[in-house]
Amino acid sequence: MIQSVTRKLAAVSIAAAITLLTSQAGTAASCASPKQMDGFKTCADVAKAEQEGTFVLYTTDPEAGTAKLMAAFNQVFPKIKTSFVRLQAGALYAKLMAERQAKSFLVDAMQISDLGFVLDLQKRNGYMSYVSPEMAAYKPEYKSKPEGYWTWGTIIMAGIAYNPKTVPAAEAPKSWKDVLDPKWAGQVSVKVSNSGLEHETWYELKRLYGDDYFKKLGELKPRAFDSYVQQYDRMVNGQDKIIHTAQYSGYLEFKAKGAPVEFVYPADGLPAGPETWGLIAEAPHPAAAQLFLDWFLSVRGQKAIGEALYLNSARGDAPPPPGGVSVEKLKLLFPTDWADFISTRPAFAKMWDRMVGLK
Amino acid sequence: MKYIVTLLALLICGGLALYPVVFLVTESFNVGDPGQFPPALLGLGNYTDLYDDARILGNTALVACLATIMAVLFGFTLAWILTRTAIPGRFMLERLLELPYYMTPLVGALAWGVLAGPKTGLINQLWQLLGGTDLLDIYTAYGIAWVMALFEGTVAFVMISAAMKSMDPALEESSRVLGAGKLHTALRITLPMVAPGIVSATIFVFAEMLGSFAAAFVLGIPGRFYVVTTAIWEATLSYPPEYGRAAAMGLSLFLVMLVMLSLSRLVLRRGNYATITGKAFRPRALEVGRLRWLLLAVCWAYVGLSVVLPLGALLLTSFQRFATVIMSQSIFTLANYESALQMGALGSALENSLLLGFIVATIAVPLVSVLVWMIYRSNMPGGRLIESIVMFPQAVPRLVFGLGLLWAWLYIPIPIYGTLWLLGIAYLTVFLPLGMRTMAGVVLQVDRGLEECARVCGASWLHQMRTVTMPLLRPGMVAAWLLIFIAGVRELGVSVFLMGPNAKVIAPSIVNSWLSSSSELSAAMALLQTVTVFIAVALLFAVARSVARGIALRGGEPL
Repeated sequence: MIQSVTRKLAAVSIAAAITLLTSQAGTAASCASPKQMDGFKTCADVAKAEQEGTFVLYTTDPEAGTAKLMAAFNQVFPKIKTSFVRLQAGALYAKLMAERQAKSFLVDAMQISDLGFVLDLQKRNGYMSYVSPEMAAYKPEYKSKPEGYWTWGTIIMAGIAYNPKTVPAAEAPKSWKDVLDPKWAGQVSVKVSNSGLEHETWYELKRLYGDDYFKKLGELKPRAFDSYVQQYDRMVNGQDKIIHTAQYSGYLEFKAKGAPVEFVYPADGLPAGPETWGLIAEAPHPAAAQLFLDWFLSVRGQKAIGEALYLNSARGDAPPPPGGVSVEKLKLLFPTDWADFISTRPAFAKMWDRMVGLK
Repeated sequence: MKYIVTLLALLICGGLALYPVVFLVTESFNVGDPGQFPPALLGLGNYTDLYDDARILGNTALVACLATIMAVLFGFTLAWILTRTAIPGRFMLERLLELPYYMTPLVGALAWGVLAGPKTGLINQLWQLLGGTDLLDIYTAYGIAWVMALFEGTVAFVMISAAMKSMDPALEESSRVLGAGKLHTALRITLPMVAPGIVSATIFVFAEMLGSFAAAFVLGIPGRFYVVTTAIWEATLSYPPEYGRAAAMGLSLFLVMLVMLSLSRLVLRRGNYATITGKAFRPRALEVGRLRWLLLAVCWAYVGLSVVLPLGALLLTSFQRFATVIMSQSIFTLANYESALQMGALGSALENSLLLGFIVATIAVPLVSVLVWMIYRSNMPGGRLIESIVMFPQAVPRLVFGLGLLWAWLYIPIPIYGTLWLLGIAYLTVFLPLGMRTMAGVVLQVDRGLEECARVCGASWLHQMRTVTMPLLRPGMVAAWLLIFIAGVRELGVSVFLMGPNAKVIAPSIVNSWLSSSSELSAAMALLQTVTVFIAVALLFAVARSVARGIALRGGEPL
């Protein structure tokens, strides 16, 4: 029964995705004369934003890093009090949907890492249309069509990580296929199927190596965790030896703390996906939301999120996160057909849950 | 009048407990779009799919049974030692044994992961130094049950202690005078007389264990061991969310609890458990001779395993730059405490949790006392029905009940969604069963004859309640207040879906931090929370003592 429901939802999502992604790419203009602020341009009414005095964000990003990002914005606009709710993508989106159905509007902006939710929300007219002057610096394929509903803010990507104290560099895997060596049985971790990055990895590696890849990975009995934090924690403590789908920002964060971690950039590429940002229709503080988005999408805001969360910016001229390399220098594997990617979600979740012992 | 009171009680309890359940039941039949409410397509699919989850249901039953057995065994033994025997430092030990209950459930799970994780857990490392291989593996059903019993089973100790404190020691003394040994007396006299407390505690703890989340979440997933709550967690986070499956799984536990509740009623109705009678008594502890040192060692061992070792492990983690149990790679820092204190959200979340715990406990205790009296003492109609309704939330995992509460209160045209008001109502709803179980055990021990004497002597109902009933119930009420206060401060399950951007509470914030930020920061946050709760409880005890002293000086009755 669940399968039939998920099939129906997938069909709806695909239709929405095709409509949204293949429609004419209208490059909408921002306001006629954006105001130049300290390091960014804005079309928002700054006085009104300060009068609203509050900005509320829903996000999937880590709590401590988000608090730092909010503090950075608050430093520039001390009259605007910021608050946020952090949940995993599924729970966050469900919360938003339930609130909207009950006409309870609490949130101004949302960051979510799963494009399926983004397209679904756009289809439901859940995004406010606001063309930020800073959006011009982002590639067209990173923005909603028409422009103004959502934008990729940052890019997350996955490689392989190992602990050099438990795995000598010479023995560490060099490619995705090296991870399938039976010597790693019971010592590999992955994330749960709710992870958008895990879905992207599955989609891309299946395209490269076929179904057999994940059959062999399943034979290693990988353990699945909700977050990269637990994956790196266990590897640092010698409980697992390899992280399959190791989040790059997690590697940078643990490396900065001095943890024994090494990252492998497989030659075939790093599966990647976006963290998408957009303003919510019926936002209770629309001017503050617009001002935040302008600041966030600027080099200044992108630098702040890089420092707070070690995430790579989707903006070409923004610096990479501390200790990291720019996405331009990495071979990233994005799904080329997002509609097809979204349609595979039920099949992926079913296979992945079985592989990790959930079903 | 009786009918009006019953109707009022039914309305309040039904509104709180049944209204969200209606939403849950409806959702459990939703086989259409999970995002649509009310559902457009209804069917039995979510229930028939439970067959596929048989392994998960089996795991849940295994862990809940193991944890309940351990918790009640620990609870009874410790309660007996501390309330019925003369061992040195009883008061301090009693306070120490309550400490695990003050901590958020995540604390114990995180700490025991550090202590007994396979290969590199601190205890295993120590064992390896002595020449052994792995001694413990906490990521198993037994490990999960152990942590659940230590940290969520403390409630059994508190509930059984409350019952034992209300017991007339003359019965045990008679047994001893007639030549029975200490153990024989404990098993044949003490145990049967505190049966209501034990039955209440067992049922309550079993329900808690069925719906327990934190230990299974932290320790089960690394061992690929899933129980209903962790499966529900994954189901509600998946895309599309499997709310129907989650609701069906949650409600399936309700059937198990229905059987347990019926059994407990049967047991409690069959016997006469009144131990507080018209005969005056002063609680006196048994002299146990040299045995007291062994009993003292048992208590300290428990304190060591449930308080000292876990807090020590967390303290160590909280000072590390990255969480590690391999000491050679440890780098120590104060940064985690700086980060935790700089996160404004932590302060307000902790403040909100303390406020909610205080207010909810203060409202719930009088409400529960009246309800328990109506159910077990008065001849008012509908007592059983009220009890069953109040116990509903206990029988459904909090995570799922939280979803029911979310839907229920979102659609009421009162703007309390996303505020502390909704969290307060939610807490009151889910903690009424806790108060009810605690008070029921105590009420059943009070002989009706005492009240009848007061009435025969001409006391009005109000006077009788004030001078006879309430003083007798006071230990139980204090225990219930404390239990609800602490439960409120560490609540996790229902809060996850009900927190708003300006109405955050502490336990989900720590879980979020553990999930997404870092273990060392989470350890610092958990320790700050634990210390704050310790201080709050100590202050409350001090205030209560000073009020009692004031009453005594004015010639009234002490607390």
